[in-house]
Amino acid sequence: MKIVVAYKWASNPQDATVGAQGTVDWSRAKPGFSEYDPVAAELARRLADATGGEVIGLTVGTKRVDATLARKAALSRGFDRAVIVADDSLEGAGSTQLAAVLAAAVRHIGDVDLVITGDSSVDVGSKMVPTVLAGQLGWPAVAEVISITGQAGALRVERAVPTGTQVLEITGPVVLAASTDAAVARVPGMKDILAAGKKPVESLDLAALDIPAAAGTTTVTGTSRPDLLTRKGQMIDASDPAAAAAELVAALRGAGAL
Amino acid sequence: MTEAAEPDFDVIVIGAGIAGAITAYQLATQGRSVVLIERGEAPGAKNLSGGVLYCRGMQEVFPDFLTEAPVERRITRNYINFLNADSSIGIDYKDTRLSDPVNAVTVLRAKLDPWLAEKCEEAGVFLMPGVRVDKVLTEDGPTGKRVVGVKAGDDELRAHVVVAADGVNSFISQEVGLRTKEPLNHLAIGVKCVVNLPRETIEARFSVTGDEGAAFAIVGDCTQGIGGGGFMYTNTESISVGVVLRLDDLTAKNKSTTDILDYFLAHPFIAPYLEGGEVVEYGCHLVAEGGLAMLGEISMDGLVVVGDAAGLTLNTGLTVRGMDLAVASGVAAAKGIGAALDSKDTSKVGLAGYREALFASYAGKDMETYAKAPAFLETERMYKEYGELIGNVLYGVFNLDNSPREHLLKVAMKAFKKSPVKIKHLIKDGLAGVRAL
Repeated sequence: MKIVVAYKWASNPQDATVGAQGTVDWSRAKPGFSEYDPVAAELARRLADATGGEVIGLTVGTKRVDATLARKAALSRGFDRAVIVADDSLEGAGSTQLAAVLAAAVRHIGDVDLVITGDSSVDVGSKMVPTVLAGQLGWPAVAEVISITGQAGALRVERAVPTGTQVLEITGPVVLAASTDAAVARVPGMKDILAAGKKPVESLDLAALDIPAAAGTTTVTGTSRPDLLTRKGQMIDASDPAAAAAELVAALRGAGAL
Repeated sequence: MTEAAEPDFDVIVIGAGIAGAITAYQLATQGRSVVLIERGEAPGAKNLSGGVLYCRGMQEVFPDFLTEAPVERRITRNYINFLNADSSIGIDYKDTRLSDPVNAVTVLRAKLDPWLAEKCEEAGVFLMPGVRVDKVLTEDGPTGKRVVGVKAGDDELRAHVVVAADGVNSFISQEVGLRTKEPLNHLAIGVKCVVNLPRETIEARFSVTGDEGAAFAIVGDCTQGIGGGGFMYTNTESISVGVVLRLDDLTAKNKSTTDILDYFLAHPFIAPYLEGGEVVEYGCHLVAEGGLAMLGEISMDGLVVVGDAAGLTLNTGLTVRGMDLAVASGVAAAKGIGAALDSKDTSKVGLAGYREALFASYAGKDMETYAKAPAFLETERMYKEYGELIGNVLYGVFNLDNSPREHLLKVAMKAFKKSPVKIKHLIKDGLAGVRAL
């Protein structure tokens, strides 16, 4: 089985700052293997080990996704090899464009049975890439996946739905987005990182990929902060604990919280 | 010396700060195989902002350091200040000779460390971030315990030499018994924040131009009488400001670091520099202040200790140094380790070249020169009475309140009589100061 894990080398919002006008300053944010992607890598590795398959890490982005540090960080997650599309013209690319490039790279890799992604990226979090990617490829897409078993062409996928879980049988190639807690990902050890330095990496030229032209363009013209919740700021005098507890319960009831 | 298993690398360096990165870089340029292990997800990730780097040593390693590396400003103005609650007395030392050749620069470690790591990778170092070393591997050798590698999680890596560059609280050197837990008077806590301001504002407030910068060293009311001092220096578009507090004194006086920093930031002498700025970073870090006394054993069979981990920091009261000593120790360690690898003797005896090279360098010599500085800087009077005394003398001179003027000597004697400082203190501290600094 040939499994592709589409991962993102994304800026960590922990060090980003939001200005008063709602603009986000990412300049201090450090890039890393996007928060939920280790889960996808873990699911892929387990499935490949169970079926004797191959796991290929795939990412697209600016030149920084192809830095030595980024390559090793990705390859230490259990991939057998990596395919990278690094081009600075992808700076600021939206979910639709990134998914189109990913799809072209998946076609380039060829004979892919399955693409697994994380739940969403840590920096943008649109949750769109898996479905747009599937749409580009003409494949089905399944989100909130919690387990994957079976063989190529006969996958058994379990996914979380609001009413519980659902089991799906999938016959053709498919894009699966893992739920955030589908698996506990292994933390790469020293041997994993050493091995990562020796794994093959294929860099694809963006211009040489077959990417259908988009019918239109999307431009961000404004950003604003979410509306802040107005708080009641109600204070309860706690000098008499019993009375304070009663007052708290009454206040919570009154607000419909209990 | 025979070793049980074939090593994975010639050298394992633990910690990708300045000392570790320089050691690794120098060894890689010698053609050794080196792995540089870093606990943070990327080098610099764990590091608190930065500081003033006396950069000559760095330029010996990287001749194009000033043009290539991410340096903030070149320090051409040094301001030494005695701060009292309502007065401040300063020496403003500005010298164009300090910019040609450049002697000191401000750096932000979040930028500098990744640059150093990149240089290491270019030189062939295998960089391994995101790995926390749990312990060193040791074996019993003919001359006692010998370090043969490191363990992290389930994985082990072996090398001829392990370099502990794991910072001021070096767990590695404590684990192998090279160091004991430091006495509190050897340690200080640095609390600082980085305040963003437009570059033009910084240049106007600190009266510097272009990429020039200023460094302020402050004693007295900034620490509310606690042993230590305040500092403030300019980065390109931010100001780093904070205090360093001796742990023993802080504990004895039962004060909180945040209260002291807040008081300092709001001090009428400091606040105008920071006005309108936005605090973008805040944190604290242990600082080694023991000087030469803290530099104990720095090598054993199969292991050397460099930088802060070796206690290589120097506070002379006027200059606080650590990063330049880290560079020097990295260069010296690489030299000693190289010689040991060549002679196939990486025992403590084989590694003796490190200590020799260190003490032949400016770092070792300066540690010896300033050996008495830490004890001198523990003098209580430095942090309170002297500043107030000078302040009162100057007040007597400048406060023309229509009372008849008196000769300076008389004014001074009056202020002196009011001060708890006695002649014997003045003589004692003066002599100690001259000898220590």
